[in-house]
Amino acid sequence: MLTYREKDNLIHKLHPFTTVAFVGIIFLLSLVFSHPVYLLGLLLAVGAVIIAAGHFEEWKVYLKFSIVMILIIMIINAIFVHVGETVLYSGPHIPVIGKISISLEALAFGAGMGIRLLVIISSFCLFTYAVHPDRVLKLFSQWGNKSVLVMTLSTRLFPLMIKDYFRIIEVQRCRGVKFNTGRWWERAKNILPVISVLLVSSLERSLQLAESMHARGYGSGIRTCYTRDLWRPRDYLVLIAVLLSLMTGIWAAIQGRSSYDYYPRLPAINLADVEIASFIVFMLMVPAILNWGWKKWPLLKSKI
Amino acid sequence: MAAIKVKDLSYYYPDNKKAAVERIDLEIPEGQFVLVVGGSGSGKSTLIRAIAGLIPEFYGGAYGGNVYLDDKEIRQFERRELVQKVGMVFQDPESQLVMTNVEQEIAFGLENLGLSNDLMIRRVIEFTSALNLSDSLPSFIPELSGGQKQKVALASVLAMQPDILLLDEPTSQLDPIAGEEILTMIRRLNEENGITVVLIEQRLERCFHLADRILVMDKGKIVYDHHAPEAIAHWAIKNNYPFIPPLAKLFASIGYPEIPVTVKQGRCILKSNKIPDQITNPRLVALVPKPEEVEISEQECLVDMQHLWFSYPNGEEILKDINLRINPGDFIVLMGENGSGKTTLMKNINGLLKPGRGQLKALNKDMKKSSVEEIASVVAYLSQDPNDYLFLPTVQEELAFTLNNLGLVDNGISQATLTRLKLNSQAEKNPRDLSTGERQRVALASVLVSSPKLLMLDEPTRGLDYSLKDELGKILLQLQADGTAILVITHDVEFAAEYADKIILMAQGTIIARGSKYAMLSNSTFYSPQISKLFNNIVDGPVTLKQGQDVLRKIMALNKKQALLV
Repeated sequence: MLTYREKDNLIHKLHPFTTVAFVGIIFLLSLVFSHPVYLLGLLLAVGAVIIAAGHFEEWKVYLKFSIVMILIIMIINAIFVHVGETVLYSGPHIPVIGKISISLEALAFGAGMGIRLLVIISSFCLFTYAVHPDRVLKLFSQWGNKSVLVMTLSTRLFPLMIKDYFRIIEVQRCRGVKFNTGRWWERAKNILPVISVLLVSSLERSLQLAESMHARGYGSGIRTCYTRDLWRPRDYLVLIAVLLSLMTGIWAAIQGRSSYDYYPRLPAINLADVEIASFIVFMLMVPAILNWGWKKWPLLKSKI
Repeated sequence: MAAIKVKDLSYYYPDNKKAAVERIDLEIPEGQFVLVVGGSGSGKSTLIRAIAGLIPEFYGGAYGGNVYLDDKEIRQFERRELVQKVGMVFQDPESQLVMTNVEQEIAFGLENLGLSNDLMIRRVIEFTSALNLSDSLPSFIPELSGGQKQKVALASVLAMQPDILLLDEPTSQLDPIAGEEILTMIRRLNEENGITVVLIEQRLERCFHLADRILVMDKGKIVYDHHAPEAIAHWAIKNNYPFIPPLAKLFASIGYPEIPVTVKQGRCILKSNKIPDQITNPRLVALVPKPEEVEISEQECLVDMQHLWFSYPNGEEILKDINLRINPGDFIVLMGENGSGKTTLMKNINGLLKPGRGQLKALNKDMKKSSVEEIASVVAYLSQDPNDYLFLPTVQEELAFTLNNLGLVDNGISQATLTRLKLNSQAEKNPRDLSTGERQRVALASVLVSSPKLLMLDEPTRGLDYSLKDELGKILLQLQADGTAILVITHDVEFAAEYADKIILMAQGTIIARGSKYAMLSNSTFYSPQISKLFNNIVDGPVTLKQGQDVLRKIMALNKKQALLV
């Protein structure tokens, strides 16, 4: 029912703030940089952490899906953008699009944006599988109590409503309501009783829920926030590392290194960019490196 | 000092001209365990909601009189102070849990109180270990069983450390084992921690002996208030009041001077009498019908199940090699633990699930090829929650809806059904505005209107009080007399003992025992009603109240005679 499953590795045993900060910074950097070297570096880092967290199998599904998307982006970009100078293929004239001309630059730009998309999708994958949704909600509830409660309530009530829905379908089938036969509008009409029952029952339940919350003092004053998440040295290490990478990234962006002009002709890759990107990647890979050490040396495990 | 003092309390729900409670005066000293009994609509829930301060604060309405907690008027309490004084556990675990996991749920109330994180952690850990929930701390609440959910609800209220614990039928949605666990916990809290408890319960056989004091409510008033269960039992028999457990009812109804509240006490009383040797005394043995062998007749049967197997698509076997025949006029009760396959068996019979291996014929239709819609008019099914049926504006329309769907004509059948279920005066009312018992009868009417040959009911007694159960039982007996076969799933041994003919016991997907109720219920330790437990190994056979009364009368008469002879 819940996609999250606790695993025994360092990534799963981080403070939710650390994990959220890590994912957030990757996401932010992927938006700041359009330079392919930096983007590739970010992909490498997030991939390493996902594998370290034991979610390679889940990531593969995301990857398959995104690679199709990237190919589509590349093809569309290559067909429609004609500003690249290194023409690889020149074809016949087609109405609306004009003359087919596929350039290396347009393909490279498509690939670069594809990698950015891949980084973003991967960071979401990490966010989905490596941190318990409740703990994230809890983290944010310090700032926005009511909206978080609404979200929690929906997660709590959703499985209940699904169960209700199937039960009511069964009950109404026993009264001769046909859901599987007849034209689509007849079936749509037949679903109405189910929806009505569901609505009326949910309304009754919400009143009872409100009563129970009232009886437990909800809304009686300023709430505090319960948390049993612990801060460990590993959290500080990871936070320092990702902060360093963020600061380096911002500095590189201020220096004008974040962008890369694909058109009209691909410029040469600067060695300095590779060095800076390597540093950022190394810092972002700290959780994966710590996890590796964590598994290898019990002493390190006990220290961090 | 009285922990709770209610003075001249009257209350009307908004837009309601009838008082829910009227001129109630009540004092409950600290540490008392009070059991409130009464039928639905008697004002029990209203009374405890007034003690919790939910009435009038949450409900509004017209309010008169006063409620004091430790001599302070309830409306003078700050809400935060009040919720730390009284805690309330509600009936349905599903509609009182707010968070997604157990730990957060228990912390929810504490957060509302604005407690410090250290204190919250301490309370959460303390109360989960006290209620044996430590292992479930990180569990996702929708994945817990009903009993565990109710335990979480209890823990989350207790963590706020109230002096007074109010419980509104906390076990009515649970199976007997889970229910018993909750009641035992409440008793322990009362005994070991001195918490004042006010409990509303319907399964009196489980809690009559736990209470220090019993309040009987009717029509918004406290009609009887006594600390001794014996006095209540005598009073109830005299006033023909149904809310006493079977054991007390048995002794009180024949005018026995002592009234036991537990089976142990009852057996002591019995043994203090001279019991004629039950085996050699033909008069006593003759009192109870001989357990008859269940012979499956060869006549045209309604349901014929041979070597039936059923598995879900994930391969999990739910039914294993089931053989069962249901004949017209049968009254069969299916019993067994949760997850033993009872409901799955029912859903196979009416076509909601497709049978796997083996043969299943319902009214000569092969259920592998028929769907639920095809046999809905002859095999009726009433699920656990009557609310799932009710959505139309009037009771009458609910019945017409079924007839219309099944393509049947209303040749006076809906009127006859309404009359049979005593719903005539409710025909034009909205079913959602009716009481629990009435809602169930409307749901029952909506499936009975097609004059089915087989009626299947899944846990029909859940949440019903004694008088409603009695009403339901009588309706079922009438239907049975008309030749309708009845198949009931229930955990309620007392109900099965009183009304069923045959009992089938299921476990882990197989039928482990079957037979007449006399054979099945009189020799079992757990699946037996209070009356059988009372007479077990003393007199063989009695299962129903009537039989118990006959045997007890004989014993009394014999002892009187002997006393005279001496």
